[in-house]
Amino acid sequence: MSIPPSIASKAIPSHSQPLPSTENLLLDYIHKLERHRHGRSAVRIRLSLLQPNNRRDHHVRAALSTFDNLVRRLKGQVFALSNSDIMVIFKDIALDEIQAALIKLRFLFDDDPALMHEAEEGREQFVEWFVVDRDYQSLLRLAQSLVNDDIERRTLDTRPGGTDSPAAPREKRRAPLTPVLLAKMQQALAGADLANMMRRQAICALVGQAPPQPLFYELFISITELQETLLPNVSLESSPWLFQLLTETLDHRVLALLNRHDDRSLSGDVSINLNVQTLLSPDFLTFDDGIKANQRGTIVIELQKVDIFADLNAFLFARDFARERGYRICIDGVTIDSLPFIERGRLGLDLLKLSWDPSLVGGTLPDGSPLADYVRKCGASRTILCRCDSENAISLGQSVGITLFQGRFVEQCLAADQHRLRGGIGRRRS
Amino acid sequence: MSASPRDQVGAEIATPENVLLDATERVGKIRDGRFAVHLHLSRLKPQNRQEGNLRVAGRMLEPMVSAYHGQIFRLTNDDIVFMVLHPNPVDLRDHLHRLRGLFAKDPLTQDDSGDGADLFCTLYDLAFDYDIFLALVQECLKAAKIRLRAPPTPPEPKPLDATSLAMVLERLGMIDASPFVRRQSAISLGGANPVANAQPAVIFQEFFVSLADLQKAVAPDFNLQSNRWIFHHLSTTLDQRLLAAMQTLSLSAMPPSLHINLTLPSLSDPSFAAFEANRDQRIPLGVELRILDVLADSRAFSATRETLRAKGIKLVIDGLDESTLRFMDVGRTGADLYKLDWTPELAQPTRGDGLMNALKEIDPARLLLARCDSETAIAWGMNHGISQFQGRYVEAMLAATTMAVCEKARACSLAQCTQRHGVIIGPLRGECGNHLRLDTAPALSAPRSAPNRTTP
Repeated sequence: MSIPPSIASKAIPSHSQPLPSTENLLLDYIHKLERHRHGRSAVRIRLSLLQPNNRRDHHVRAALSTFDNLVRRLKGQVFALSNSDIMVIFKDIALDEIQAALIKLRFLFDDDPALMHEAEEGREQFVEWFVVDRDYQSLLRLAQSLVNDDIERRTLDTRPGGTDSPAAPREKRRAPLTPVLLAKMQQALAGADLANMMRRQAICALVGQAPPQPLFYELFISITELQETLLPNVSLESSPWLFQLLTETLDHRVLALLNRHDDRSLSGDVSINLNVQTLLSPDFLTFDDGIKANQRGTIVIELQKVDIFADLNAFLFARDFARERGYRICIDGVTIDSLPFIERGRLGLDLLKLSWDPSLVGGTLPDGSPLADYVRKCGASRTILCRCDSENAISLGQSVGITLFQGRFVEQCLAADQHRLRGGIGRRRS
Repeated sequence: MSASPRDQVGAEIATPENVLLDATERVGKIRDGRFAVHLHLSRLKPQNRQEGNLRVAGRMLEPMVSAYHGQIFRLTNDDIVFMVLHPNPVDLRDHLHRLRGLFAKDPLTQDDSGDGADLFCTLYDLAFDYDIFLALVQECLKAAKIRLRAPPTPPEPKPLDATSLAMVLERLGMIDASPFVRRQSAISLGGANPVANAQPAVIFQEFFVSLADLQKAVAPDFNLQSNRWIFHHLSTTLDQRLLAAMQTLSLSAMPPSLHINLTLPSLSDPSFAAFEANRDQRIPLGVELRILDVLADSRAFSATRETLRAKGIKLVIDGLDESTLRFMDVGRTGADLYKLDWTPELAQPTRGDGLMNALKEIDPARLLLARCDSETAIAWGMNHGISQFQGRYVEAMLAATTMAVCEKARACSLAQCTQRHGVIIGPLRGECGNHLRLDTAPALSAPRSAPNRTTP
């Protein structure tokens, strides 16, 4: 039997909180390994022991990339756990490769106290080895406890109340974003290449138990990562209007990125987030020049609701121009609370993105009217439920007639399904 | 097309009009099959003539102009002129039609000059109209030269950016905003308003910060409103200053009700709680919010609305215009009052069913027409079932009524009385010899004619 390619490493989390169910996938994988224990080893790389400033998303991502080759050549599987640890399960023939990767990782973090102490004490803490055949039971127990820890952490992390902001990172008593910090950030962004912060997330049709059908992929800059990289102790959410200003700067960096001839992100059906003013800017016109006429119909432009309503006349002009060029337009940032004020048809938009929020479970709008009625009026194939990070979100969405979904849970379903198609061991959500 | 004559303006080598004239003279030799189109974009309303709009307009035409071996010119007055050779007439008409659609909101694309001529664009078949077109181009060049020779206009205030915003916020933090606080009275002319019991009266006074005056004082070189996101951010600080100033408010007579202009986050700020605790509880209070605040955080808005309601504070949504009414169901905000800003365009006959339908969705007793600067505004409002008004015209009307009963009115002009009524402190107010009259809402008589309430 050949070990299937990685599931978890394909869906490297773009948010500050890694994939919630990587632990489940790991447990699932270890169960399946029971009959294939021989000739395999596992190593747990305990990034969680590192100082917080050494285990930000980009560090974890850098560490994960060390194993890319291994995964690509089907010699192993990598799991990025919620606590920042990495678990690699590999065929023994890849042991040398693993050792080399670990040397690289130690080098990467050699100034961290955890590794410095390890050298002093001569005890290996940073990595933990398992011979699958011999240590199967302890590996299984470890995976189970990781699942439990993760559930506990998720329960603690669940904050009441929603936010209308585009990304909701964990709030850690960060300083508010001030104009001075914003100016700094804009300056840092002026010439920055954000290619490594660009993420893709699929918008999928999920109907009944059928496998997810990706419709298009949203390309976006990971705000969490941007924040972690540029201003780790500042909360961008604290000043929504300054954040909005920042997105205008980001728009131009994204367009610069997409206008680069070597960039292939634009192949296939995609959506990009832009501001109304950006649609009328020279950068967008340059972008538009580079797009083949028949491709525009496959590009969706996502506009934030506040940006649309801040200047409706500018929006109407930009909308007509963009549609005239063949682009489709989606309103983003709609929450259950703002839903009653927004009529997709009235605004002449193609799609509407509603953010998942646990309060949707009631199935009614704040004024008590049924959500299903709203969806019917908006159009089942024109309403996207985004930020779906749990199966609940999908079930609720489907129960009110929504067929299009996006979010971490959708990514998992998609990964699992692709996995299944390759004859792997992934499961469709039960 | 490759000509970008705009680039040459800066270098002062030639105006686009010079280049256009050259091109026109060149095609003069072979005129057959050539067409020129003059798009009168300079006639658009300023808000529809922004750089981005003009850029996009040029972009929509470029591929066609290029396909028909033509050239396109953006003139110094922002008009666009292009010439094409043997165009497919349907294609040409389509492009112009689409461009017209893009500017459909502007009256220019709907109006005609009365003689059937199209005010938006003029087409010249150069085989026949060459001389007329040449004369036009020469005229344009002459106008451009005059424009360029005109004395330079004083530099416009710079747009505020993140760096200058920090400076402005710092200065704002230190000033007393009282001298910049303005007030305006709203009146009910009876009619649909059940509260006013059909008797015309002042119903409330709105207090707000005069941005123009504040800008002169704290940031004369900057335009505080140049960037909407920066301005929204700035507004929260303005709220603090306004609330602080309101706590020192000292009038000889209080208005029947007091409204203040705030942003949503400020309503849960300690400064609002402090203002509330210290204010004269006998005077009913109203807070006025922008519709964008409702959308930016709808959940907080709903919660705040309930809190305000429990305290008996009125909630007002201000700054509504034709677009917000047409594209958003504002009635769902559950506010006590909606303020629609008057613009002369509202009265244009082309303003059709969209606005009327949107107006029908709102209880007329909860509608107020703001920024009324003429009798036309009041008449339009009354014709559409609105009975509450605010604006400069209303201020002047109230000042005139005050002066009619003021013992000291002989020393003052109507403009002076209006200005003095608008401020709450400072030398202007000091000039008035009768503060009690100035602050007391005058008794109003019924309007001379109360036109039909229903929309024709």
